[in-house]
Amino acid sequence: MKRRKFLKDVLLWSAGLSVSIPRFYIPELFAGEIPTPNLALAQGRDYQELAAKVLSLLGGMEQFVRPGDKVVVKPNMGWDRSPELAANTHPLVVKALVEQALEAGAATVRVFDRCCNEERRCYSNSGIRAALKSLKNKRVQCDYIDSRKFVPIEIKKGRSLKQWDIYRDALEADCYINVPVAKHHGLSRLTLGLKNSMGIIGGNRGSWHHDLGQKLADLATVIEPKLTVIDATRILLRNGPQGGDLDDVKVLDTLIASTDPVATDAYATTLFGLKPTAIDSTVAAYKMGLGEIDIAKMKIIKG
Amino acid sequence: MAWSNKKRSIPFSWWRRLSQGVCLLLFLFLFIKTDYNGADQLDYAVNILFRFDPLVAACTILAVKSFIYLLLPSLFLVALSLVLGRFFCGWACPLGTLLDIFRPIAKLRVQKPAATLYPRLRYIILFFILSASLFGFPLVGFVDPFSILVRGLTLSFYPAFNAASVAFFTFTYQQAPETINYVTEPVYTLLRETVLPFSQKFYELGLLSFFILLSVFLLEFWQRRFFCRNICPLGAMLGLCGRLSPLSGHGGNSDCNNCQICRNLCRMGAIDEQRNINMEQCSLCLECVDKCPNSIITFSNRKPENRVPFSLSRRVFAGSLAGGIIVPFFSNVRALAKLPDPTLIRPPGALAEKEFLGRCVRCGECMKVCIGNALQPTFLEAGLEGMFSPKVVSRLGYCEFNCTLCGQVCPTGALRLLSLAEKHKTKIGHAFFDKNHCLPYAKAIPCMVCEEHCPTSDKAIKFKKAKVVNDRGTTITVQQPYVVDSLCIGCGICENKCPLPGKSAILITSAGEDRNPANKLPTGGSPYGY
Repeated sequence: MKRRKFLKDVLLWSAGLSVSIPRFYIPELFAGEIPTPNLALAQGRDYQELAAKVLSLLGGMEQFVRPGDKVVVKPNMGWDRSPELAANTHPLVVKALVEQALEAGAATVRVFDRCCNEERRCYSNSGIRAALKSLKNKRVQCDYIDSRKFVPIEIKKGRSLKQWDIYRDALEADCYINVPVAKHHGLSRLTLGLKNSMGIIGGNRGSWHHDLGQKLADLATVIEPKLTVIDATRILLRNGPQGGDLDDVKVLDTLIASTDPVATDAYATTLFGLKPTAIDSTVAAYKMGLGEIDIAKMKIIKG
Repeated sequence: MAWSNKKRSIPFSWWRRLSQGVCLLLFLFLFIKTDYNGADQLDYAVNILFRFDPLVAACTILAVKSFIYLLLPSLFLVALSLVLGRFFCGWACPLGTLLDIFRPIAKLRVQKPAATLYPRLRYIILFFILSASLFGFPLVGFVDPFSILVRGLTLSFYPAFNAASVAFFTFTYQQAPETINYVTEPVYTLLRETVLPFSQKFYELGLLSFFILLSVFLLEFWQRRFFCRNICPLGAMLGLCGRLSPLSGHGGNSDCNNCQICRNLCRMGAIDEQRNINMEQCSLCLECVDKCPNSIITFSNRKPENRVPFSLSRRVFAGSLAGGIIVPFFSNVRALAKLPDPTLIRPPGALAEKEFLGRCVRCGECMKVCIGNALQPTFLEAGLEGMFSPKVVSRLGYCEFNCTLCGQVCPTGALRLLSLAEKHKTKIGHAFFDKNHCLPYAKAIPCMVCEEHCPTSDKAIKFKKAKVVNDRGTTITVQQPYVVDSLCIGCGICENKCPLPGKSAILITSAGEDRNPANKLPTGGSPYGY
């Protein structure tokens, strides 16, 4: 998120401006305007190498992180589960991405998530905190959510949401990298990249379950990651989003990366044997022109 | 061995003050450490103060009529007191130290030093609660000094301290300029890493617990160390050991000038007009030894000239015991005996109710350590004698699936220590849906937050698809959740996370709790196991 854009959004909101320009949504028109996304796809057992490989297929981390950037790597760290249970992003994947961001010259790399279970247990048992600590680098900050840092943001293009509290550190990032884990979800069928952004919003998140697909698409109009990396190293097939039974986990050793947040979700959906159109949020985001849903229209780069 | 003031370079009372300071800091350190530390097991015995407490040991052992090994350390304190008398009250007790620190404020109300106002009261309380414990009416939690202190800190003072700190640093963060924040933010980070709790907790009976603790301090305005001299039954017990100990104080005699300095400064009122030192009250603070102008006062194993008679008459003693016998006679015909409260959900590992109440000393340790802020003190739901024992209030906090901390801190085993595997299978209650509120049933609006959070690996909340007509008259398919009786453990995360305002649409009751076979679900078969 560019800092200037964030400040403008906040100023507009505090000045009390409301946008009342009549809107016409013609999906076909928008579909024509979506550029062909590059989708990097890589498989491998060594997750550090795998992360480097999948990024190199897109031109390397330097395409996304410039020296001196404030980087945010947003994993899914929301559940008190150990890594093999596929409820959280794999710690080695997070560690690898953070390392690459540091090498690309990031000034700070922040890693955080607003958890569903007790925060210390989640940060600890997901393995992510320890993995980042092992980097022994002062530029890496893995802090707990500070409730003072939620700021109200206007969601101008929102159809189901007009405004919500969003975490300041995420909005102020020069480079925001979304690193979800691919899982089953009882309500939305799957939770992927678009849903992962729920980890940086404040307020009563449970109320989002009504019209969830559209709300996630609305959120994606204000939270625009420069890069989405979907952790499909192991996926959760049933009893998501927190699982708890190894029988529900399938190891795939796969990472999917793209600048297009809809394309990554669409492709990841196929790993579960579902069509991209089966997920409400992917369809809603596509209809708003946020990305490409048709796999045939994507440029898939395998590595 | 003799202690006397022979112009020592470091007065005795300074050693005592050092000991009080170290013990208080140790107590506060352990208090703050009663929390999740990054690993599933606690590394410090944060409940050690209660395990040393012989009053707790006596009352709980009498209540359950079997030995509690966790409380073995209390024998050590009894043994020490049989040698050194009531030294604990003067050298170690954190509540005593806090009262001594409070002294300069209490002195603002000028008091004439007088003899202890109600010297028999603490013995009456002691024998009454011992007797009541034996006959099934456990009351030690109301009067044990450590229960009062830890509960007061846990339920009111510590959360309030955190709220005030956070409010201040939120103000500086959101309103103050960058230059101020340059100083305040690092200070806030340091405080959060050291003395502040990880999260803000909210407790029932906060004001009541605070008031009880405050009263102990307010009584200081009436008489110095009022609680210790007149009320504390632990002090009474240690005082009895003091009476039996070979150590005794030798006060002024015919040689001394009768200046009464010792009597006036004695904080425990242990020195009478004849300057005899009563070892039932003397806490060995050694002020008199330091301050006696003629250095006459000593402590040694020499027998004292005048032995102070025991303050309790046989009649009062028998009366206290009798009181303990009579109360349970009436409590057994309360409505509660026939109809237990269905919302009384005990923590996992809790023993059957009678034994649980006998062992629980209302110390508040479990409520302090509960990382989800689920454990709250009961008021009257478990009867008057059950007040301040822990219950789970799911709407405030849920029982974290992979956590076993409450069983680890319970000093008496009222909450059994469970392994993680046992805990995952321990049913503390059962969830049921209020379909008049639940969105998919009442409003044809999809939700499923409860199912999302259910932690059992085979989820205890499942859903069925239903065709319903919504407010606009359209027929839609919505997922309607239901509870699987055999899988639900009653942890309460569903009730906690239900996004409805105020009242949750899924509620936990104690039905089906493992520790009470009579409280079975209708689908669970008969209480006899088939």
